[in-house]
Amino acid sequence: MTEKKKICTAEEIEVLQELMNIAFGNATADLAEVIDIYVVLNVPEINMVNAGDLPTHLKSAIDARSESGIVQQKFWGDFNGSGLLVFPRGGGKDLLNLLDENKSTYYENTPIATLEKGVFLEVANILIGACVGKFSELLETFVTYSPPQFVHGDSEEFKLLINHFDSTQTAIIMKTVFQFDKKNITGLLLLITNEESIGWLRSALKEFMEDYE
Amino acid sequence: MINKIMIVDDSPVARRMLKTSIPKNKGYEIFEAVNGQDGIEKFKSLKPDVIFMDLTMPILDGYKATEEIKKIDNNAIIIVTTADVQPKSIATVMELGAFTLLKKPAKAKSITEALDKAEQKLKKKTKG
Repeated sequence: MTEKKKICTAEEIEVLQELMNIAFGNATADLAEVIDIYVVLNVPEINMVNAGDLPTHLKSAIDARSESGIVQQKFWGDFNGSGLLVFPRGGGKDLLNLLDENKSTYYENTPIATLEKGVFLEVANILIGACVGKFSELLETFVTYSPPQFVHGDSEEFKLLINHFDSTQTAIIMKTVFQFDKKNITGLLLLITNEESIGWLRSALKEFMEDYE
Repeated sequence: MINKIMIVDDSPVARRMLKTSIPKNKGYEIFEAVNGQDGIEKFKSLKPDVIFMDLTMPILDGYKATEEIKKIDNNAIIIVTTADVQPKSIATVMELGAFTLLKKPAKAKSITEALDKAEQKLKKKTKG
């Protein structure tokens, strides 16, 4: 990997980490209102990588959870980027049972792969939307979203997502790993933003922390 | 009366946010711990009157730390400050004996109210 530019100070990274923690915590509470599920949280990580190295970085994160299904949702505004939710492929069956305990006719007559895709899209829509939404709320801005889209790690859509980032720029990856309790499903949420947002982001982080001086 | 307060949180930013939101005119002595394990050790040595406890932490999380501290002193006042506000998380930590729970980022007003409630509990304990 090539040497990355330092676009955030150590303190800004610490603030981003805490904001991601708050945002994802809120998102899981929103999910619990819709689905009877408990999400075990972990401490988020913030990484800065050259956008040109994103494919390698993402591939290693995703490959660690082999046979993954990925849901991507873009967001626009002062805070601009993509949310990626990575699930182990096949894990949707467990989640399906939570969504439809009564096993409705629709579920009986629809292929399992389609159902899994649907449940992942729904969970991703809630988690990414609520997480980015809370993050934006804390930094007093708002974003708009694209519909969530299911992508495969080796697909054209995935290449398009990567190419969305200028390879000469530095991308910020906010990552949190989580487990669905008693469902043996470990997921990964990544929020990726690039240098286009960094000017706004640094100034918003500074304003946020001014309340705590 | 509250003299010593300990903040247990792995995030230096979260500790700073909380520290600056605690009323400054009460003369509280504030201590910090960087994870649950550090929190238990400092609880034993410092004997703080009130503990602000995060839940999601490396090494030892806030659930286990709360449980251990309550085993050492069942009267310990632990105010949980967390971003994890799922109903099960709240129920679990309250069952473990937390005094109350504040959602992150906790506002100065709710911190002051929680400390006032803690003060009342300590007064009752002293009178009793």
